[in-house]
Formats: sequence, structure tokens, C-alpha cells
Amino acid sequence: MSKYLSLSIKEINELLKTKKIKPIDLVNEAFEEIESNKDLNCFITLDKENAYNKARELENKEVDNILFGIPIAIKDNIITKHLKTTCASKMLENFVPIYDATVIEKINSKNMIIIGKTNMDEFAMGSTSQTSYFGPPTNPWNKNMIAGGSSGGSASCISARLVPFALGSDTGGSIRQPASYCGIVGMKPTYGRVSRYGLVAFASSLDQIGPMTTNVYNNALLLNAIVGFDEHDLTSVERKEEDFTRLIGEDIKGMKIAVPNFFLSDIISKEIKENVEKIIELLKENGATVDYVDIKYLDNAVNLYQIIAMGEASSNLARFDGIKFGYSYENPENLEDLYRKSRAIGFGKEVKRRIMVGSYLLSGENATTYYNKALSIRDDMRKSFKDTFQNYDLIIGPTTTSTAYNLGEGLDDPRQTFMDDILVIPVNMAGLPGLNIPIGFSKKHLPIGLHIIGDSFEEAKMYKLASFIEGKLNLELNPLKEVAK
Amino acid sequence: MTEYKKTIGIEVHCELKTNTKMFSTSLNGYQTIANKNICAIDLGYPGTLPIVNKYAVELALKAAILLNCKINRTMHFDRKNYFYPDLPKGYQITQARTPIGVNGYVEIEIDGKTKKIGIHDIHIEEDTAKSIHKEDKSYLDFNRAGVPLIEIVTEPDMKSSSEAMAYLEKLKEILYYADISDCKMEEGSMRCDVNVSISKTEKLGVRTETKNIGSISSVGLAINEEAKRQEEVLENGGSIKEETRRYSELENKTILMRVKETGNDYRYFPEADIPYLTLTEEYIEKVKNDIPIMPNERRKIYKKHEISEINIEKIIQDKTISDYLLNFDDINLKIASNLLLGDIKAYLNKENKKLSDTKLTIEKFKTVVNKLDKGEIPNKVFKDILANLLETEKTFDEIVKDNNIETISDTKALLEIVNNILNNNEPSIIEYKNGHDRILKFLMGQIMKETKGSANPSLVNKILLEEISKR
Repeated sequence: MSKYLSLSIKEINELLKTKKIKPIDLVNEAFEEIESNKDLNCFITLDKENAYNKARELENKEVDNILFGIPIAIKDNIITKHLKTTCASKMLENFVPIYDATVIEKINSKNMIIIGKTNMDEFAMGSTSQTSYFGPPTNPWNKNMIAGGSSGGSASCISARLVPFALGSDTGGSIRQPASYCGIVGMKPTYGRVSRYGLVAFASSLDQIGPMTTNVYNNALLLNAIVGFDEHDLTSVERKEEDFTRLIGEDIKGMKIAVPNFFLSDIISKEIKENVEKIIELLKENGATVDYVDIKYLDNAVNLYQIIAMGEASSNLARFDGIKFGYSYENPENLEDLYRKSRAIGFGKEVKRRIMVGSYLLSGENATTYYNKALSIRDDMRKSFKDTFQNYDLIIGPTTTSTAYNLGEGLDDPRQTFMDDILVIPVNMAGLPGLNIPIGFSKKHLPIGLHIIGDSFEEAKMYKLASFIEGKLNLELNPLKEVAK
Repeated sequence: MTEYKKTIGIEVHCELKTNTKMFSTSLNGYQTIANKNICAIDLGYPGTLPIVNKYAVELALKAAILLNCKINRTMHFDRKNYFYPDLPKGYQITQARTPIGVNGYVEIEIDGKTKKIGIHDIHIEEDTAKSIHKEDKSYLDFNRAGVPLIEIVTEPDMKSSSEAMAYLEKLKEILYYADISDCKMEEGSMRCDVNVSISKTEKLGVRTETKNIGSISSVGLAINEEAKRQEEVLENGGSIKEETRRYSELENKTILMRVKETGNDYRYFPEADIPYLTLTEEYIEKVKNDIPIMPNERRKIYKKHEISEINIEKIIQDKTISDYLLNFDDINLKIASNLLLGDIKAYLNKENKKLSDTKLTIEKFKTVVNKLDKGEIPNKVFKDILANLLETEKTFDEIVKDNNIETISDTKALLEIVNNILNNNEPSIIEYKNGHDRILKFLMGQIMKETKGSANPSLVNKILLEEISKR
């Protein structure tokens, strides 16, 4: 059968418009690809029935936008009405929600077709997707390796070309880090850009939903579809409507780029550093200026993250008490026993660890010693970023300190995996937009990613730079084609 | 032997009179079928986020202004974390660090003196679901989950149960008159926790908290009983522990619920789902201007109109009457309040009606009061036509006409009656002329009796005086 999904979005759109193909052809292809790549373990739940129904329904509708009829995968911590939303946890193994997240309503209004819910770290807590109750997704570039996390399933299924679009969520790098490991484009938008209504909360002040795609243009298109003020989310921001593709293709001459010294320090692996430096040269050659700068507290980001994210998580997950929804221990001795057993059995190890640490950090005097202090350092970090953006258009650096690694690694040391996110966490702390694009490969042929950070609401500018680099490098990013070579 | 002195602080929870809940658009009304007024947000459903009921914030601000608080112009919400089945999210959204109002006071009258009771803070929070325990099962009604509350916390400024009761009466009056809350303790829309400690010295004793007392008078009893209990414990060589108690009306004593664990830790931290709210100067000013005339001001007006203290308090206790009186600024309020508190209220009670259910228009009432004021109709006529006034659309004049009620205003006829009465009471005229004014009243009574109350009193008075002076 034909491989339509590897065509460009404009080509697919043209085929649909001219009725040469139907949405159902795309749905068929997606499910076939998913079936033949089961070992990637990208999906927790597939939604064949509704996907086919929707595809048939769309046959009688006018192709009114470029995302019409296109399959999309949704991270399993985004609430979907009548479609199981597990957060990769035993706690919500059989949880079928009664409403749609705001982003899902937006996806539906574009007539995209939801294929299924993707695998992830349990409640998005992890950097490898190995804390999933349903086993980890694997990396299409090397199936013995992790896809990264927590949006590992979304990253893996995009990388393997199972579906062209996916949504992830990013609390401390959970879109960008797996995007880097899997060689795809992943954007964490400015905090407030995308409604969080219907995203099962991990750390409310950091969480943000974002697009994960094979290329920059598609990424901007999906961002176009999901942004906007939402009266259901008071932290969402009212902005003038804009087209995030509008600067794509523009010349980068005169752009002022900053590289924080910390982002090229010794914690970064040599080959990643070399690849980033090559990009710096490329940008200079093409008329951009690149300066090295210092941004405060970047080296404290992981500590800040642990305090803020775990503190908030301990509270956000309190609602799973075995009474109203989710796993409930049968025949408890009393109320306390119901709480203890439901949570002890329903949550996995990492989630419980984070709840405990978070509860400790918010207890009594600790709230002042740790949490409030972290908030104030976070403010300073935000200011330091803002100061940098007074003089620069964008900040760049590597997305990760290393490339993907073997499954099973990093499970013994819960602190180690946090270090995977040391470069991406500051962006969440500052509420800024951050984007990963693939810029090359390691000797083991694992993807290396560049991290582009913009000032608040400067996503269009980030896409401009990303698309420029993408065009110049013209990398083969389809792992299956690479293997075939 | 020196006496133990009581120290009392009070925490009051009041439900705000809003249409919808604090953080969702569900209706605020839990006196209905269980779990009817609920939505995903009220259930703490995964992925949901709170929205803020602006009107609830406005009511809380109004309360903060009326309790003379310093307003936190930039405020946020916090999470109070604990597990309980009636708490859907595992945390309650409240205000810990930036309550909407701080450092206020309420003035009470005690033994003829004014005393200020300090308000530590007033903050906004959401109510929990309601647990109903039946036999060996517990049921949850989420209609109440998310109902907007304000909690008002006093300083430990009260020294007696009567001060505590006076404070609560005053607080209730303020919140009720400003339309902030229904303040129905019996229905739970106003709830009261009392902290009591006793000491013989300046150093405060260990306090206990008595929760959810059902009425203001019970608060008084509970305080006295709890103080008595503490005194007995101390006198027997024991010590008071920080504990939570409840008051049993039946037994008239406080009963231990639980001993407070040291460092009861609610892990407060800022609610990141709700951005900081800024209350601008203009907004605060606008809310201030919207505050209706409050009871103390009304009392002054009534006093000026020479309404008796007893009646003033009766009017204040019945807000519909007090509000009704606000419609008039140029009538005799004393007469008006007498009518409203007397015959009209009796009628309403008998018919089980509200003033707003009647056809007594402002115009009609004004006419009646003015006629009575000028002495153009006797009270008796008013009594006769009361039902007609309240039940029909007819004007005062139409009613008088239709009922064939004629006030005798015919001077000639009256002159005759007056002279007849005077002729029969010669000794009284002499007495009157010797300075016994009250005789006049007696003569008036005779005349009114003769005319069966239908004579125009001021006219009778006038003729009577004239005729006496002729003799």
C-alpha cells in the first residue's frame, strides 16, 4: 500500500482536497504502521472504532483546513471523553473520562483524527518513560534504548512515522528531551499559550501541552491549532491570533543569538558539544551574531525543579484517594486503610517517591526553607532570562547532555535521570517557550538535538530559526529509511 | 482567691449569597436533591481547573470593608492539603498568606459602652462536600462542595460569653444587611467555632476549640460550660490540652472530639492554578459605594424620628421592614413603623405572607401615613381598611369610598356632638380650665365614642378647644 503519511502535509492536503485519497486511507495506514511496530510500545490505548467513524464522517465534509483528516496521537495524560486516559498508571488503568480537554476540542474542531493515547512515564514523572505501568516505549533509532520521557510514546511514534502529529506535555523537558532522543521536532510553548484544562496536573505552575512532529512546519501548524485563551484555565493568556508559520523561510541575517556558557560546559558530551558548535558556525556564516552569555542559577535548575514540581505534584495527586475515581482497594478495614492501600497499590514507585518528597518539602518550616525559597530563586532566574532577551532574539544550546541510552539504565538512581533534564528545566521555570530540532547524529547514530529558547510568546521567531537550520542540514530523520540504507 | 478570667476568640464561616459556586459555574444551592448542583470541577475531576467567582470576591471585599479591615490589594489563593472523603481534591482552596482583609474590628455595645473586637483576618475559601452518616455507611453530597465561604477570625478580644454573643449578633447583622450572607446558623450558612481559655494571670491559658455550635445563645452556654470545665480541671490539679470539642445542647456541656496533634500540618502553598488577583482602587471604591445603609446608620435615623428604642431594635431585626422604610424620606417614620410593626406585621403573620406579596404600594402607604399624621383619619378606619389596602389594587380614596367609610368632617354635625358632650360634662370643663390637661383627652374619647371613631380627630380637637374657650 501507499505511504501517504510520509508525504508532506501540503501534499496530503492536496490529495484529500482532490479526493484522490480519503481520510480513511490515512487512518488505515496509521493503524497498519502501529501494528507492524508494536515493539515500540508507543500506545497505551488505540481508538480504532472512533477513528474509523470519524474518517467516514469526514468523507462527506469539505476539506476546510490543512489539518483536516490527519491522524494525531495524544499523550495519555490529556483527558479524552469516552476514551480511556490512564496517565500510564495502574491508578487510572480503567479511567474513562466524562469530558474533553480544551486541546482535544480544538483538535476535533480541525477535524483531525485521534488515533490513540500514547505511552509515557506514570503521571509524566520521569525522563525515560520507564515508569509507565504499561512498560516503556522504545526508541526507533535503537529499540534497546529509551525514547526519553515523559512524552516517550508520542516522540517514538512520530519518529517512526506511525502518525504525523502528536501532542505531548512538558513540565521539565518532557516534550523536548524525548524529541531530542528520537530525532523529532518538539515545542513547549510559552506558559499560558495552550490551555491546561484537561491535562492531568503534575506541576501546575510548570505544565504545558505542546506539539510533536517530524518537521518544523508541521509543528507550527499544530501549534496554530491548539493555542488560545481558555475561560476554563485562568493561567491561559489572551493573545492576538497569529500564524506561527509566518516567519518560516525568512532570512536569519542580523539575528542575535545567545549561548549560555553553562550550556556548553563539561556536563555536555563531547559529540553533542561539537554538533552544537557546528550550528553556531553555520549561523555565523549566514549573518547571525552569536555571543556567549551567563544566565543565573541555571546550575540550580534541577534542585529548583525537584522542590517546586514535587511539592505541587504531592498536592495534585491527592485527589486519587480510592473514593471517587481510579483504583480503589476492595474491602478495606477502614477509611485510613482505604487511602493507604489504594495509593500504595495504585501508584508506582517513582510517583510515590515524588509524592513523599513533595509532602516533606511542604511540611511545616520546610515550606519556607525550600518551597518559598525555590519560588524566589525561580523569579531571579526568570529575570536573568528576561535580561538576556533585552539584547538577544533567541538563546540556543544542546537539548540534552547525552544521547539516548539503554533501557534499564538510570532506574537505580532516581537523581540521575533528573540530570537528563538539566538543560530543559530552566525553560519551564521561566515559563518560556523551548523547542528541540534534530541537528545530527552521534557515532552510534543516535539523534542529537538543538534547544532553541525564545522570549515569552516568541514561538514564531523560534520556528524561523529552526526551519532555517532544518533546511540547511537536510538530515534523513526517518529511522526506518536509515536502517534500510 | 483570684478569679479565672476567660479569653475568647471566634472563627465564623459564612456562606456567600452567590448564584454559583466559588470555583465553578455550578449553582450554589445545596438544599436540593443530593448531588444535583455539581460538575467535574466540584468533584475534583482529573484535569479540571478552578475559575474564580468574581461576585464572591466582591461580597468578601464588601465584608472586609464593613469589618474595617486593611484590604490586601494583591491577593492570591493557597492550597490547604489534607485527606478526607468530603474534600474532593485532597486540598481546599483557601487564602493563607494574603487574606482579602486583615486587622479589622467590629464595635459592640456592652454594658452601655462601646468595645472594639479585633478582626485578625477575613479570607475566602470553598466549602467541602457534606458527609451524611447513616447506620454503617457514609454518604457524600457534593452540592455543598465548592460553595463560597468567608472565614472571619477574631483576635482573642472577648472576655465573657455576653461579649461573644454581642459580637456574633453584630457580625450577623452586618453580613445580613449588606446581603453578603443569609447567616442562618440553623441551616449552616453561618457556622461558629469558639476558642476558649482561662487564666488567673495576664498570661493566656491553653485554649480549646469548640466547633460548629448551632445558635448564638448556644455559643454563650458553650463558652460558660467550657470555662467551667477548664476551671474544674485546673482546680483538680490537671492541665488543659489543645483539643477540639463540640457542644451538646441536650447535655449542656462540651464533649471531646479529638486532641490536636502537634504541628497539624496542612502543607499550605500557593495555588498555581489561579493567578494573583489585583483589587484596584476604583474597584474597591465602587464596592464601597454599593454598600447599602447599614443598621447603625438606620438606628440614628429612627432615633431622630423619635421611634422608641424597643421599636428601633424590632425594625432592625426585620430587614424587610427596615428596607421598606428606606423608600420614604418625607413621612412620619414613627407612625409608619408603628403600622408596619403592628397591624401590618400581624396581618402578614396571620396570612403567612411577605410584605412584597401584598398590594401595598409605596404611594398607598404614603397616603395612609400622611392622613394619620395629619389626623385626617382615625386609627380605627385604618384597621378597618387594612385588608383592602394590602389585598387590592385600589387607591386609598377608592377604598374609603367603596366601604362607605365616611370620616365625619362635617363641621356642623361635629359642632352639635361636641356641644352635647360638653353640656353633659360641665364639671370637666372647670377642671380643664383649672389646668388639668388630661381632661381634654377624656372629652375627645367621649366624642370619638359618640361618632364611633369616624370623626376626623384633628377637626374634633380644633372644635373642642374652640367651644371650651367660648364657655
